[in-house]
Amino acid sequence: MSVVALSELLGAPVRDASGAITGRVREVAVTPQDHPTRVAFLIVHTPRGGRVLPSGEITSCGAIVRTASDASAWADYAPSDGVLLLKRDLLDQQIIDVHGRKVVRVNDVEFESTPLNSHVSLQVVSVDVGARGAIRRLARGVVPSFTLRALLARIPPRVIPWQYVDLIETDPARRVKLKIAYEGLSRLHPADIADIVEDLPPAEREAVFETLDEEVAAEALEEIEPPIQISIVESLDSDRAADIVEEMDPDAAADLLGELPEDRSGQILEEMEPQERQGVAQLLEFGEHTAAGRMTTEFVAVPDTGLVDDAIAALRAFEGSREAVATIYLTGAGHKLVGSISIATIAMSRPTARLSELSEPYIACALDTPDGEVAALFDKYNLFTLAVADEHGRLAGIITADDVIAMLRHRS
Amino acid sequence: MPSIRRRWKARLTLFMAVVGPGFISATVDNDAGGIWTYSVAGAQFGYSLLWAMIPTTIALLVVQEMAARMGAVTGKGLSDLIREEFGFRITFFLMIALVVTNFGNIMAEFAGIASSVSLFGISRYIVVPLAAAVVWVMVVHGTYSSVEKIFMIASTFYVAYIIAGLLAHPDWKTAAFATVTRPRTDGIRDYGYLYMLIGLVGTTIAPWMQFYLQASVVEKGITPRQYRAARWDVIAGCLFAAVVAWFIIVACAATLHTAGITAIRDAADAAQALRPLAGDRAYLLFAAGLFNASLFAASILPISTSYVVCEGLGFEAGLDKKFHEAPAFYWLYTLLIVLGAGALLIPAFPVVHIMVLSQVVNGVVLPFVLIFMLRLTNDRELMGEHVNSRAFNSVAWATVVVMIILTVAMLATLR
Repeated sequence: MSVVALSELLGAPVRDASGAITGRVREVAVTPQDHPTRVAFLIVHTPRGGRVLPSGEITSCGAIVRTASDASAWADYAPSDGVLLLKRDLLDQQIIDVHGRKVVRVNDVEFESTPLNSHVSLQVVSVDVGARGAIRRLARGVVPSFTLRALLARIPPRVIPWQYVDLIETDPARRVKLKIAYEGLSRLHPADIADIVEDLPPAEREAVFETLDEEVAAEALEEIEPPIQISIVESLDSDRAADIVEEMDPDAAADLLGELPEDRSGQILEEMEPQERQGVAQLLEFGEHTAAGRMTTEFVAVPDTGLVDDAIAALRAFEGSREAVATIYLTGAGHKLVGSISIATIAMSRPTARLSELSEPYIACALDTPDGEVAALFDKYNLFTLAVADEHGRLAGIITADDVIAMLRHRS
Repeated sequence: MPSIRRRWKARLTLFMAVVGPGFISATVDNDAGGIWTYSVAGAQFGYSLLWAMIPTTIALLVVQEMAARMGAVTGKGLSDLIREEFGFRITFFLMIALVVTNFGNIMAEFAGIASSVSLFGISRYIVVPLAAAVVWVMVVHGTYSSVEKIFMIASTFYVAYIIAGLLAHPDWKTAAFATVTRPRTDGIRDYGYLYMLIGLVGTTIAPWMQFYLQASVVEKGITPRQYRAARWDVIAGCLFAAVVAWFIIVACAATLHTAGITAIRDAADAAQALRPLAGDRAYLLFAAGLFNASLFAASILPISTSYVVCEGLGFEAGLDKKFHEAPAFYWLYTLLIVLGAGALLIPAFPVVHIMVLSQVVNGVVLPFVLIFMLRLTNDRELMGEHVNSRAFNSVAWATVVVMIILTVAMLATLR
C-alpha cells in the first residue's frame, strides 16, 4: 500500500503491455454513482487523442504508470456529466472542509494504491490543502523526484480526509449525477454553515441553498449577513425561497422580506402556507425598529385557569424556536395577558399545581415601543423574553433576548 | 412627467448602490508615481504629450471594464480565477511578481507622503510612521462600507489638481488643440520623448488596479444584473482620473515648461517649482493633493495585495479572522506597511530610483496580467453571455500588444 499524489500522476508516462510509452496521464476520473472513492479510469493523452485506461488494468502506479492492456484496445474518451474529473473539478478549486468548518482551496489530491489480484486499486483518501501539496506542485519536474519525496516527508501534512470534503458544484444536473448533497455541511451548526456560505462566491451559495434541507437552510439563512441573505433569496425560485422562509422565525422572515423588492417578496408570500404567511405579513406592516418589528408571533400562551400539565402539553405541541419558550404567558378573559411563568418554575412544580398560583408579574411593552426602550427593559428586568401587547392588552408577540443582542451589536 | 422622474430616481438609486469600486480604483491610480510622471511630462514636453491622454484613457477603460465585468459575473477575485483556470505554479509566480511590484509601489506612496510633508516643513521621520499607523488602524478597524466612504471622499480631493491647473493660467487653446491632434512623428526618434510616453501609459494602467477593482466589485456584491449600472461607475472613474491627469500635465506645461524648468526630481519638487510661477495657492493645492493621493494609495495597496496573494495561494485571509487563524495574511499586510514605510526612514534612501523602478516593474508585470484577463473574459464556460464581443476583443488585444511593445521598448532603452 502506498500513497500517490494527483500531481505526481498527472503527466506521468504510461507504459502498456509492450513496455513502450504510449502516452501521458491527463486526468484521473471518479464516477461517484458506481463508487464514491475509487478511481474509475485515467484519461491518457496519446498521439491519437484522449483514451480511457480503466483502473482495473493498471498494474503499478507512481512516477510511471504501467498497464497490462494494449494501448490500441483503449476506448476514446467521451465527456460525460456523471464523471468527476479530479484535475478539472477538484485541483485548485474551493471545497468545504466540513471538519474544519471552512472553505479551502485544494493543493493536491492523495490516493492510496493497494495491490488487488493482478492490478492495483486506487482510492481517493484525502485532499491536501497545506504547504506539502503546494511545494510538491512547485518543485515537480525541477527537483529530482527522490529528493523531492525526502523533502516533502519533512513537511507536516495538512490534509482533509475525503469523507469530510463537500464538493461545490453549481450545475444542478451534474450535482445529482455526482451525488453531491452537502451531507457533511448540513450536519454543522447553522451559524457555522452561515460562516461557510458567506465565504463562497454567489453561484456556489445558491447551489448550497438549493440542496440543503429546508429547516437547516432556514436556520442558516437567519445567521447570514443581511446583504448576502438577500442576494441568496433573490437567486432562488419563489417556491424554494417560500419553503425556506416558512421555516424561519416569523420576525427574521419579516425582516428579510421587508428588505426584498416588493414584487419579489409578494411572490414569495404568495407561495407560502396561509398560516405562516399571515404571521409574517402582519409583522411586515410594523416599523422595523419598533417592538412589533422585532417580535415573533410564535410563543407559548395558556389560559390562566389551567394546570402545570396544560402548560407542559402546550410546550410539547410548540413548534417555534427554543429561545421563545423561556417564559410561558398566561391569558385571561378576552385573551388578555394576565401573567407569566418562567420555564424553570414549570419544571420544578407539581403537574397538578394551578398556573394562577404560580403566576409572576409580567413585563410587557407596546407595539410601537422603539428599540432602545426594548433593550432597556431587557436590561432592567433581566429578561429572556419580553411580551408585546396590543392596544387591547392582548399578547401580540414576544421579543427574545437573542434578537436584542443582535440588534445591539448591529447598532454599535 | 412623474413617471420619467421616478425612472430617473430609480436609475440614480441603482447607480448609487454600485458606485465606488470603479471610481476609487481609477482615481487612486493617480498616485505618487502617477503625479510625478504627469508633472515631468508637462515640465519637459509642455503640451506635446497631451495627445496620449485619449488613447490611454480608452485603454484604461477597456481594461478596467473587463475586471469589473469578471467580478460581477463570476463573483470571484482575479487571483482566484487565475488559480482555478491556470493552476498553482503560474499563480505562485504571478503572486510573487505582484508582491514585488506592489511593494515597490507602496514604497513610492510613502515616498510621496514624505516629500509632500517636507514641503510644509514637517519631518518625514514623524509623518511616515504616523501615516503607516493610520493606514493600519483604518483598514483593520473599518468595515468595507465605512472605508469605502472615506475613500470616496479622498477621491474628490483630486479636484485640487484641477483647481491648481486653473490657477496656472494655461493657454487653453493650445492645450485643447494638442489633446486632439495627431502627434508629431519626429517624437519617435526622440529617446526622452518615447521614454516619457511609455511612463505615461505605464503609470495609468497598473496591474494591482485590476486585482483591486475586481475584488471590490465582488466584495460589494454587484450582480450581473446590476452590472450595467456598475459600468458607468467604471467609466466615470476613468474619465475623472484622465481629467485630473490632464490638468496636472497642463499646469506643469503652462508654468514649468514655459519657464524652462524641466528637471524635476519628484512630485514635491514640481509643487515647489510651481510656487513662484503659479502662486501660493496652486502650490498648496499641489502639495496637499500629493499628500492625499499618496496616503490614499498607501491605504489601498497593502491590504489589496494581502487579500489577492492569500486568496490566490489558498491561505486564510480576511480582517474578520484572528491573527492565529490567518497568520500569512496578517504577516504579509504588516510587513508590506512596516517595510514600505520603514524604507523611507533610512536617511540615504534612493527615493527617486524607487519611484522609477516601481513604474518599470508595473510595466513588466502588466502584459501577463492582461493576457490572463483576456483569456478569462473570453472563456464562455466562465462568463456565459458576458464574454467579450469581437469589437471589444480587438481593442483589448490592441491594448495588450501596444503595452507589450512599449514595455519591451522601455526595458530595451533602460539606462
